Amino acid sequence: MHGENTQLHAERPQPICRMVFYTFISSEGEISLLVVVVDVNPIWWGQHAQSEPEFTLSKCLDAVMVMGNAHMAMTRTNQLAVIAAHCQDSHFLYPSKRLKGNDDTSSSRDGKYELLSVTNNLIAEEIRDIMSKTELTGNSTDTLLAGSLAKALCYINRISKEVGVAQEIKSRILVIKAADDCALQYMNFMNVIFAAQKQNILIDACVLDSDSGLLQQACDITGGLYLKIPQKVALAQYLLWVFLPDSEQRSLLVLPPPAHVDYRAACFCHRTLIEIGYVCSVCLSIFCNFSPICTTCETAFKIQLPQMVKPKKKKPKLPA
Amino acid sequence: MIIRPELLSTGVCLPSSPDPGSLFWIYRLWDLRVQLQCKNLHEYMKELSPDVLDRLFNHPATCLAVYRELPKLAQNYVIRMLFLDQPLPQAAVALWMKKDGQRSCVSVLTGLRLWHSQQLQGGLQGYTLNPVFKDNLRTALLGGGTAWAEEQSALGPDRHARDIESLDRYAMERWEVILQFMVGSPCAVSQDLSQLLVQAGLMKSEAGEAPYITSAGFQFLLLDTASQLWYFTLQYLRTAQSRGMDLVEILSFLFQLSFSTLGRDYSVEGMSESLLTFLQHLREFGLVFQRKVRKTNVLKTLVQRGPTDWVSSLSDSELQIALVALFCEMLYRFPNVVVAQLTRESVQQAIANGITAQQIIHFLKTRAHPVILKQTPVLPPTITDQIRLWELERDRLQFTEGVLYNQFLSQVDFEVLRDRAQGLGCLVWQDVAHRVMVVTPEGHSEVKRFWKRQRSHT
Repeated sequence: MHGENTQLHAERPQPICRMVFYTFISSEGEISLLVVVVDVNPIWWGQHAQSEPEFTLSKCLDAVMVMGNAHMAMTRTNQLAVIAAHCQDSHFLYPSKRLKGNDDTSSSRDGKYELLSVTNNLIAEEIRDIMSKTELTGNSTDTLLAGSLAKALCYINRISKEVGVAQEIKSRILVIKAADDCALQYMNFMNVIFAAQKQNILIDACVLDSDSGLLQQACDITGGLYLKIPQKVALAQYLLWVFLPDSEQRSLLVLPPPAHVDYRAACFCHRTLIEIGYVCSVCLSIFCNFSPICTTCETAFKIQLPQMVKPKKKKPKLPA
Repeated sequence: MIIRPELLSTGVCLPSSPDPGSLFWIYRLWDLRVQLQCKNLHEYMKELSPDVLDRLFNHPATCLAVYRELPKLAQNYVIRMLFLDQPLPQAAVALWMKKDGQRSCVSVLTGLRLWHSQQLQGGLQGYTLNPVFKDNLRTALLGGGTAWAEEQSALGPDRHARDIESLDRYAMERWEVILQFMVGSPCAVSQDLSQLLVQAGLMKSEAGEAPYITSAGFQFLLLDTASQLWYFTLQYLRTAQSRGMDLVEILSFLFQLSFSTLGRDYSVEGMSESLLTFLQHLREFGLVFQRKVRKTNVLKTLVQRGPTDWVSSLSDSELQIALVALFCEMLYRFPNVVVAQLTRESVQQAIANGITAQQIIHFLKTRAHPVILKQTPVLPPTITDQIRLWELERDRLQFTEGVLYNQFLSQVDFEVLRDRAQGLGCLVWQDVAHRVMVVTPEGHSEVKRFWKRQRSHT
């Protein structure tokens, strides 16, 4: 019974500091980390602005910020990260490198909670930065969603390592999806989903436009919610209603019924949904037509066609 | 469930004034063991008058603090109604949630006056958020309105700016002085502060003597710093009005501080006299750091990080050792290690001082060495169990409030009254040989009335 009280090192107070810090938070409750991945694909938003001018990217980001603010206002231990999924790269909007050093952004000029105005200003600045730097080269038009999700997972992993073993952390990812699925990312996407499932991280999806089979599966596998919102203008209200509560509260709330999950896989060659197809035995890629070389992993299949079977030749017996 | 007669003579019970002419004395038993209760903000707010509550919602900071303290599901109600300008039918609101949690949420929101019932056009009952609360919470979340504090740039850069580390150290030192004072070390604290400690029941003072620690004070010392601070602040608020301070003003300011950024400067210009006094007290607790710069006072707030960080550095202080000594037998002192032994005697001594086993275990857990902290459970179960068992050893008495009837003149009187009490189901204990019985306080009036009637008959 002597060991417990031996923390009185006068020379090395640092590790003790950290230790007590964590145990203290734990008395306040676990950390809840929300990572929002926003699809900012400039092509989709550009086309969309023409057909539906009342719902633009800035409106969408406003809604995200409202939700982020509501999340951070809930408890002191709630944390937020926002990642923009572009068609060229994935970019952290918050927290960003500007957070340190640049002090001008931090002063609150109105009645907003200071932490929230710092966050909002940062997000606004970062997105402005990204959009002004965008140069469409034409060869990549799909949103790099799988990459953003992977980044989100890495970030969650880092944070949970940083807070230490003693502190419980609960993380989830919310994807706000605009552009269509990209079959090229199927493999990466599935890998991300299973990694998230292994880490007990929920993936929620809020889909603005056409249904996404990949995200439906992601939500179903990780236990998150998938919702295609009927009215885009009401995005903020949907986010606050459906996606803001964590999984514990969701069990008590009356939420929209779960969407039917389309578990049909898309073939890799024509992106059509198929129920029966050919599967590569090495990388599990799916094809609607047979091809002798897998286009994903370039494995050459040795096929034995039934008619090619030759009649067995008897080995000539050697004379004894 | 047994009250022993010897308890009655050991001062646990206090004789109330004897009924003149009656045949027996009435005693009341009190459970004298007081548990130190640390309330949360929500419980505290519930006790405030509606008038004070309504005025509190006039500032975004208080609205945010109130929102933060709501149960999660109630938060969900608020956030869903925050951006609606029309009242919602109650039937619709009832559909938001499954039946289980609904009632408590509704009562919390109504209790804090966060929403009102309102008649809708069709004659339906509807809910609408308190408009003042709604506006100010919106402001806190989304901006607009006026700034909470003076523009920072007006202050200009502070040449002697303190970094966060030194602020933490400062906060910790201040708080430690208070705790040291409680343990009885000679520390200089203001008259106000020592008075506050006495008012909070943590210390007692007799005329002309220096105040000394009470059993509640011992329990207080074993709380973690966040709880200590919160308990102390609540006590401060409770006495604030008697000091002639405006509770609303102080609370809004306190919340405002708690949402400020650690280590930034805030100006105190334009604050009222009572706020400045309050500020001086906060300074004494180590919650704010104040310095005069070119005739402008600069504030640094520590509240935000404060509760989480400080105890850390207490660990290498004399105080921590003094705390360990409260329930351990000290064996050896080295420059960086103290060896102490938990013994039956030492633990029971602590329990006699009003410290509970739970508090000791919690203390050991929260102050554990990082290496120890990695194992699960942090403390070996044999040790925690033993500490609990030691507490149970002392805890064989269960206290039940009751009224004692004794000095009956005849056995018949006694039996009549006892049977009556038994019939009413309020008899706690009886001793036929000594003609003594105890009834519950609820049954007392009935038994007494019966006895008076009985006596007038005979």
